[in-house]
Amino acid sequence: METIIEMKHVEKRFGNETALAQLDFHVNRGEIFGFLGPSGSGKTTTIKILTGQLLPTGGNASVFGKSVSSLKQPVNRKRFGVLTDNSGLYGRLSIYDNLKLYCDLYEVPRTKIADVLAIVQLQHEQQKRVSALSKGMRQRVALARALLHEPELLFLDEPTSALDPVNTLHIYDGLRALNDRGTTIFLTTHDMQEAETLCDRVAFLNNGQIQLIGSPEELKKQFSDSTLTVALKNGESIALPSGQEGAQQLFDYMKEDQVDTIHSNEPTLGDIFIQVTGRKLA
Amino acid sequence: MTISWKRIHAIFMKDYKDFSRNLAVSLIIFLPPVLAAFYSRTGNGGSIETYYMVINMAFGMVAAFVQSCLIAEEKEKNTLRGLMLSPASTTEILIGKSSLSLVLTLLTIALSALFSNYRPANIGLIVLALFVSAIFYIALGTMVGLFAKTVMEASLYVTPIILLFSFGTMLPLLAEQYPALQATAYLPNIQLLEIGTKVERGGSFTDILPQLAVILAWGVVASFAAVSLYKKRLID
Repeated sequence: METIIEMKHVEKRFGNETALAQLDFHVNRGEIFGFLGPSGSGKTTTIKILTGQLLPTGGNASVFGKSVSSLKQPVNRKRFGVLTDNSGLYGRLSIYDNLKLYCDLYEVPRTKIADVLAIVQLQHEQQKRVSALSKGMRQRVALARALLHEPELLFLDEPTSALDPVNTLHIYDGLRALNDRGTTIFLTTHDMQEAETLCDRVAFLNNGQIQLIGSPEELKKQFSDSTLTVALKNGESIALPSGQEGAQQLFDYMKEDQVDTIHSNEPTLGDIFIQVTGRKLA
Repeated sequence: MTISWKRIHAIFMKDYKDFSRNLAVSLIIFLPPVLAAFYSRTGNGGSIETYYMVINMAFGMVAAFVQSCLIAEEKEKNTLRGLMLSPASTTEILIGKSSLSLVLTLLTIALSALFSNYRPANIGLIVLALFVSAIFYIALGTMVGLFAKTVMEASLYVTPIILLFSFGTMLPLLAEQYPALQATAYLPNIQLLEIGTKVERGGSFTDILPQLAVILAWGVVASFAAVSLYKKRLID
């Protein structure tokens, strides 16, 4: 599988402060990769390095097989898109005018505007001024802008942080559709549910270091205690161990028609994060 | 290096629409023509010094001030980052961002000249000198905009520039008292006044070449500094 992002021993210091320490990971083409961590853990710094806005103080960071310094070349910037938590839009201009500017900058036909507005469900609002929009709608416009040129690689920094659940689902559908068409997505979030819903693999970042990396299923399996919780009809709840002993007990409860529900005790990504880092995601 | 005029035009059109809806900044372009009309009506506007005081004020207020506000607002609203991350090159962005200020400056000066009844003896030479001067002031405005964090900060920084270049033509008069001020004779506004004076006396292109070269040198140095500052801003 082709590697599209590669970080080898990447370090970033601001004066005496270490923002990123020995970061090592890669992202494969076509993946949705989640970068999870609390505020101040180094997520945005990583995106800035990967988009050429910051230079690492150590190690090698490469995108599309080339050093991130090659992103200074305007032609290479056509290959990726960025949605940050503070994606500037022109408030006095309409949604359409904002997107028209970026169509011309990326040299894509203006007919694309209707397509991306449909993805973010704003096709009927295109003449509205951006300054009159809610924060959630602005975020959707910024996402539409990042999708205009159908980038090979899309960086999303907390893409649904200001959205309500319905809009969030629309965004998820749009991102999956984009990913199905081949776009690799690098997503930072502190929303574990979002990571579980969207990501093929996730990395846990804490204090500028990667603590754990893998697919949500792998990680949950790795941290699962392999027990089942059985809720009985009398209101009692019992944890059963895996193996023959647990199976026999479960069989007995079922034979006596005492079982109400059965749940596997799989940890959530949030539980795993707390277990690994000792910190909550907020 | 290829330059995409489509991108430059897109940035220009965006700036035009944005600027026309930003009354706080756009109203300032009317000040120099109003002042020119005022001088003309009160009978104080007939001298070359007065014409060029208004013209130099237009450079300070429109080329430098408007340009610094256009750039500083892009920084303040975080939209400059979007342009920097797009495939537009430094040249395309800086030409695109300077085009509106250039058009507005030349328009403001044309209106000011019209209202103050200034009719240059050789309009071609004056237009050339004004164009070269505009490069310097726009580069200066770009630098101020890139240096400031907000529009408010840019307005603050650009005020002494407006004062220096609007009324600075009086500085060489004090040079006898303060010899250090002799150097001010090489300021672009004073060189422009000299060009205006020479042209009115029938001077040719060769006659104004030394002054034109000085203004061009200011423009080149300021443009180089603006591009360097922009490239620094590309990386946090």
